[in-house]
Amino acid sequence: MSENDIGTSRIDRHPILEFHRRKELTIYYHGRPILAYEGETVASALYAAGVRTFSYSPGLDRPRGLFCAIGKCASCVMNIDGISNVRSCITPVRNGMIVEEQKGAGTFPETTVGDYETASPELEADMVIIGGGPAGLSAALEAADLGMSVLLLDENHQLGGQLIKQTHRFFGSKEHDAGVRGVTIAKSMIEKVEASDKVSVLLGTTAFGYYPGGVIAAVKENKQLVKITGKRVLLATGAAENSLAFENNDLPGVYGAGAAQTLMNVYGVKPGDEVLMVGSGNVGVIVSYQLMQAGVRIKAIVEAMPKIGAYFVHAAKIRRFGVPIYVGHSIKRAFGNGKVEGATIVKLDDKWQPVPGTEFDVKCDVICLSVGLHPSYELMAQAGCAIKFIPELSGHVAVHNRNLETTVPGIYVAGDSSGVEEASIAMMEGKVAAISAAFSLGKPVGEKRKEADQMLEHTQKQLESLRDGPFGARGRNGKRKSFELYEQLTGARV
Amino acid sequence: MKDRASVVIIGAGVIGTGIAYNLAKLGMTDVVLVEQKRYSYGSTGRCGGGIRQQWTTEENIRLAKASVERFERMNEELGIDIGFIQGGYLIPAFTEQEVRDYRKNMALQNSLGVPTEYMSSEEIKELLPMLNTEKMMGATFCPTDGHANPFAVTEGYAKNAKEMGVDMELFTTVRGIDVVDGAVRCVKTDRGDIETKFVVNSAGPYSPLIGSMAGLEMPNKPYRHEILATERFKHFLDTMIISFHHGLYFSQTTRGEIVGGIGNPSEKPGYNLSSSLDFAVRMASALIDFLPQFKNVNVVRQWAGFYDVTPDAKPILGEVDGLQGFIQANGYSGHGFMLAPIVTELMAELIVNGKTSVPIESMNMRRFKSRNMVQEANVVG
Ligand SMILES: Cc1cc2nc3c(=O)[nH]c(=O)nc-3n(C[C@H](O)[C@H](O)[C@H](O)COP(=O)(O)OP(=O)(O)OC[C@H]3O[C@@H](n4cnc5c(N)ncnc54)[C@H](O)[C@@H]3O)c2cc1C
Ligand SMILES: Cc1cc2nc3c(=O)[nH]c(=O)nc-3n(C[C@H](O)[C@H](O)[C@H](O)COP(=O)(O)OP(=O)(O)OC[C@H]3O[C@@H](n4cnc5c(N)ncnc54)[C@H](O)[C@@H]3O)c2cc1C
Ligand code: FES
Repeated sequence: MSENDIGTSRIDRHPILEFHRRKELTIYYHGRPILAYEGETVASALYAAGVRTFSYSPGLDRPRGLFCAIGKCASCVMNIDGISNVRSCITPVRNGMIVEEQKGAGTFPETTVGDYETASPELEADMVIIGGGPAGLSAALEAADLGMSVLLLDENHQLGGQLIKQTHRFFGSKEHDAGVRGVTIAKSMIEKVEASDKVSVLLGTTAFGYYPGGVIAAVKENKQLVKITGKRVLLATGAAENSLAFENNDLPGVYGAGAAQTLMNVYGVKPGDEVLMVGSGNVGVIVSYQLMQAGVRIKAIVEAMPKIGAYFVHAAKIRRFGVPIYVGHSIKRAFGNGKVEGATIVKLDDKWQPVPGTEFDVKCDVICLSVGLHPSYELMAQAGCAIKFIPELSGHVAVHNRNLETTVPGIYVAGDSSGVEEASIAMMEGKVAAISAAFSLGKPVGEKRKEADQMLEHTQKQLESLRDGPFGARGRNGKRKSFELYEQLTGARV
Repeated sequence: MKDRASVVIIGAGVIGTGIAYNLAKLGMTDVVLVEQKRYSYGSTGRCGGGIRQQWTTEENIRLAKASVERFERMNEELGIDIGFIQGGYLIPAFTEQEVRDYRKNMALQNSLGVPTEYMSSEEIKELLPMLNTEKMMGATFCPTDGHANPFAVTEGYAKNAKEMGVDMELFTTVRGIDVVDGAVRCVKTDRGDIETKFVVNSAGPYSPLIGSMAGLEMPNKPYRHEILATERFKHFLDTMIISFHHGLYFSQTTRGEIVGGIGNPSEKPGYNLSSSLDFAVRMASALIDFLPQFKNVNVVRQWAGFYDVTPDAKPILGEVDGLQGFIQANGYSGHGFMLAPIVTELMAELIVNGKTSVPIESMNMRRFKSRNMVQEANVVG
């Protein structure tokens, strides 16, 4: 454990963010007291204290660190207060918590203590929304505005989804919040949602199933079953980061770029000192820049394609700081004793094959993978929505029509979970889903209906214009495929 | 796909693949097995994998015992790890009546060579200190009972049958059966017809539908049974626990999950495979009653399958009067996995030799006409 002991990596000064640390608490990691702040997760407190290994793999006993940092991969499971398989990256700290590495499969709990609630509340709303990212937030506000009662669920302990870590000024046009920082957009939407008397919010609550009769089952704080019935349901569950196949890709220190971003921008913890970024799309380049703002050195950016994927403005910023960008290169392996100490990079030929003899090493303590995300479609599949693999939407998605309704009537999707695009699109899709859902319930009426009709048309047009041009081609084609599949599968024309 | 074969087997569950394997072992390899989806798609891939000899009728006890002997040798015979854990079945009793019944069953089991023993509640506590024994008055325990991985067994049968020359036609659906002059002639599938003299109806819960294709009315009906699996844990539980009192069973698989189910007395027959929240809640509460530590455990999956239930809860095996070449191997009523090794061997004998080494007359479908039935009582879930 002494190897893990590399001191604290709390960020104290940041050009954009201010970290207001709350009450100091103590958690115990293998008996060692560790400083934590109320409101943060077990993983972030441990990380700040230098812990890099959270678990060991069941088959080969390999050390595992964080990967997604948002509860979607199970790389970080630990024994907490005698209970195994707890995702430390989304578990808030509590004073006196006892935390241990998990070796392989969990241990059946020895303890019969621990609070759990036998009563399960039954809740109802016109519109139930799973996921409080930009898609869910925007849908909630729109639905409320159209007179629907809304129940908004998120498994995180704060609303905002991926937006709460986007410190950069957004790309896109003025009308679509371009130039405004993601965190600022999130803040304003969250404030409105919290102020609305039509929207109730349940945080720390994971929806795990859609049952016959339209009941959504969720578990609150890991100890209480909540049964929720919605006249309409929106699944806005976002996306999860992809991994990449290379030797030692599971070494602690290999993270999704979003995980590095979560650590530094949400919890104010520096992911490392020297980072190799794999992938030069917008996410890779933006996260690189944000890492530099947090005082981290970017050793290099590696890109398999022959040119940089990110928008010009973002790439230019990075270049100005003299960060080498290796296009036509890929990562061959990570190395290090129990944690990342460096990576071997190799040149690719025009058939994407490694060119022997072109390998070279880069010393670093973190490797960030920004090689795309895939939609979180599990709930849709379980609910019985038709699922198809649409490469342009970055993976499996629930087939949906222009109104974002899936093949199960009454279930809608929006945002990254319906195809990985961007926040502005997510917000508009949320709006479209909410309006369509309201219409299907005969809401609103009169003048308000006319306004809503116009709003729907306007938003659909905005979506089209956002997907216009070469950068929008993927989304445009992917969505077209989904709409066509919807027609084929349901026989309906929308 | 062949258009002619000596035997056509319908269904690639543990029964269909087992019969294919045993036919090949007896030298009969001109066999086509037809399956609408993939191996273990039916009840086999959805079952609890439990293997027990603690039954109440002589036939079932004998068959189960013969099967256990075969499960014990199976890794070697099939060249595959079937995940057999022989940690015993514990059947707790919660009423005086149950104590009396279980003791009586034990006497019958012992007389047939099954080493069932009686345990006081203190002895149960010694065997499984974590178990909440408060309301248990005692239990029977058979150390040679256990559980195995149904996917592995089915795959093992299929792989060996294929190597010996049996054709496996997956994603092929039987749509009709031609009967000419009281004998089967041809199996019609969505990928072509197969002329044959023998059709084996091992379509599990779908077997009544296959029967009706040949003009038969069968007495078995599909009943949904739900089941769930928890997160994985290091091995800590050897014993399979079943309670007829609660209709509950659970065990820990070699992968480390706890797998178990609980029956629903108000379930109606029908082809409904959906999962219900009601089951998940009832099962979770029941597990917590048995082992309070379960309240700190996550369920990771739940699913449903069918028990293929006959009026006396015993299988339908063998020939059909007036329909030559039609062989029944279905109606297992929730315990077909554990009977598979012996039953599939006997079915192969019947087809190849025209007779079986162990009598199975009492399992013939004609018993339902004569109402000559002896009910099996020990059905769980
Ligand atoms: C580094 C980076 C930079 C970006 N920059 C931009 C940009 O400049 N401009 C732009 O427009 N976009 C940008 N994006 C993309 C944008 O952040 C996403 O497209 C957007 O957040 C998607 O919103 P969403 O609501 O669909 O999903 P998310 O924001 O991912 O939210 C989904 C929410 O659902 C919750 N959830 C999931 N499953 C469950 C469940 N079963 N029960 C309860 N809750 C659940 C999650 O906890 C999460 O809060 C960027 C993304 C990244 C990673
Ligand atoms: C929840 C549950 C728990 C159980 N637990 C146990 C247990 O612990 N121990 C035990 O011994 N038993 C248990 N059982 C019972 C056991 O699963 C079955 O008795 C056994 O698997 C039956 O096997 P089979 O091969 O006859 O049927 P199946 O496995 O159902 O196979 C039949 C196959 O036929 C195919 N088929 C159907 N119609 C057609 C067609 N027209 N054309 C082509 N193919 C077709 C199906 O796709 C299927 O694959 C359980 C069952 C359930 C549902
Ligand atoms: S679930 Fe915690 S790192 Fe992915």
